[in-house]
Amino acid sequence: MTNPIPVTSLAWVNGSDAPEKPSLNLGFMALSDCASVVVAATQGFAQAYGLSLNLQRQSSWAGLRDKLASGELDAAHSLYGLIYALQLGIGGSAATDMAVLMGLNQNGQGINLCAALQRQGVTSPEALERFVHQSRTKLTFAQTFPTGTHAMWLYYWLASQGIHPLLDVNSVVVPPAQMLAHLQAGRIDGFCVGEPWSAGAIEQGQGFTLATSQSIWPDHPEKVLGCTRAFVEQYPNTARALVMAVLAASRFIEQNNENRRSTAQLLSGKAYLNAPLSSIEPRLLGQYQDGLGNQWHDPHALRLHDEGRANVPYLSDGMWFMTQFRRWGLLREDPDYLAVARQVQQLALYRDAATAIGVPCAGPDMRSSPLIDGSHWDGSDPYGYARSFRLHALAEPPATLARR
Amino acid sequence: MLRILLIDDTAKKVGRLKAALVQAGFEVIEESGLTIDLPARVETVHPDVVLIDTESPGRDVMEQVVLVSRDRPRPIVMFTDEHDPGVMRQAIQAGVSAYIVEGIQATRLQPILDVAMARFESDQALKAQLQARDQQLAERKRIELAKGLLMKMKDCNEEQAYTLMRRQAMSKQQKLIQVAEQIIAMSDLLG
Repeated sequence: MTNPIPVTSLAWVNGSDAPEKPSLNLGFMALSDCASVVVAATQGFAQAYGLSLNLQRQSSWAGLRDKLASGELDAAHSLYGLIYALQLGIGGSAATDMAVLMGLNQNGQGINLCAALQRQGVTSPEALERFVHQSRTKLTFAQTFPTGTHAMWLYYWLASQGIHPLLDVNSVVVPPAQMLAHLQAGRIDGFCVGEPWSAGAIEQGQGFTLATSQSIWPDHPEKVLGCTRAFVEQYPNTARALVMAVLAASRFIEQNNENRRSTAQLLSGKAYLNAPLSSIEPRLLGQYQDGLGNQWHDPHALRLHDEGRANVPYLSDGMWFMTQFRRWGLLREDPDYLAVARQVQQLALYRDAATAIGVPCAGPDMRSSPLIDGSHWDGSDPYGYARSFRLHALAEPPATLARR
Repeated sequence: MLRILLIDDTAKKVGRLKAALVQAGFEVIEESGLTIDLPARVETVHPDVVLIDTESPGRDVMEQVVLVSRDRPRPIVMFTDEHDPGVMRQAIQAGVSAYIVEGIQATRLQPILDVAMARFESDQALKAQLQARDQQLAERKRIELAKGLLMKMKDCNEEQAYTLMRRQAMSKQQKLIQVAEQIIAMSDLLG
């Protein structure tokens, strides 16, 4: 069942299901959660399905987005929120119909504070809340993209602690690779980022982790394999073959710890993350430390496969990001949450691909998740959920804005 | 006269681009290494156009500027909003991304792009990377051959052979095909 190259693959390739476009340009950002994409492309997981994957490392999410939209990249390791912002036309790009082919990972991001705050005793959420509301200087928090997952985790977590992310603190964008430099220069007090950058900050004594993203939402959606809807419509067999290859790679990585370790070694290479093994490997193995002396094996560590559970493009996962865009004023009006998610999330195609390689994928199109603030998200009432939060920035009517 | 904010935060040299833009009659303000202050600089300088390396990580910071400024009288938008995919492709090839204040016509951008395309240092490494593609399908047969050899050598099944090869490749930060070639070469030597 775990045979990486199924016996049926040749027949499949030679049949009418052969990929229409055999060579694909695949974008990724240098983050630990790009693992399945990199392993699929370099370790012979795609050839089995008649595909050849050309990896192209990107230096910004905005650049990755523009190349996806223009077709220069066929598919990419993307932030969930980036795909939905592009779909809805939020930000510096015109609205483009997008597709989420599969989830690439759950969990594994972190909210960190600088060492200076640690020295002042701000090492708990309560202490941070007091500091923010009593101190005269406004703290500055960095995230990686205005509509990205890190912005949403940061905002959600701060708000769950009674801190308004847009009024009580400054929120800025800093590229992950520049986080540590900005931290060192004292330009940011905290940041939300993916790996290996949280582990790296701790390793260098520059900061500590106050909250993991999985403490906000255990097994939350994070990165996806994204492409334009035009790509899926034009090349359906290619899209399915691509999902099969990446899904098979994610299964291989999590087959055992030896595979996780070799994956970490591959990722640390110059062409991929170009980062020390010590900030990549432990987290792939589920080993966490917060820089305050606490170490633990995280039951909701970075997951790339989890027997397929991390890969299902649930409708409710996509809808959640739209509710948060609405909550924080990035969306001025309510979209038709369910209709948009049905168009973007390629559930049928994912299930085809998963079934073909023996990955379990039965189950409902939505899932039910408890979040840190006691709220429960199951996709049933997005309109009400977006309005259910005490702290928010729901866009006001234009008349109110003009009077300001 | 259009005022251009030129962001210089990557290894590519913008020196000649700046000189050429000045010569073409634009007012050019150059900024380097100020990624986090970008929103503040845009606020102070009030540029009509912001030029930035397409491959700059600072593109994500500009994204914040775009969103923050959407309620101001002079919102900054990426010029790809001008519904002209041709212009966008041109700019990506030139390696510069331009953000303009809404209301400035795309035609007024053309001279800037012309200068940029001629003067912006292109990234040879990236182009080389693009050329090194389309070889993987031919590699499949070599991988199968190596797998067969390894199955004989180690007396193992297909899946075990693949796993051994993949672990070896990943630990050495190599592609599967590289390890396959090593196995074939070794087998020739010992054969």
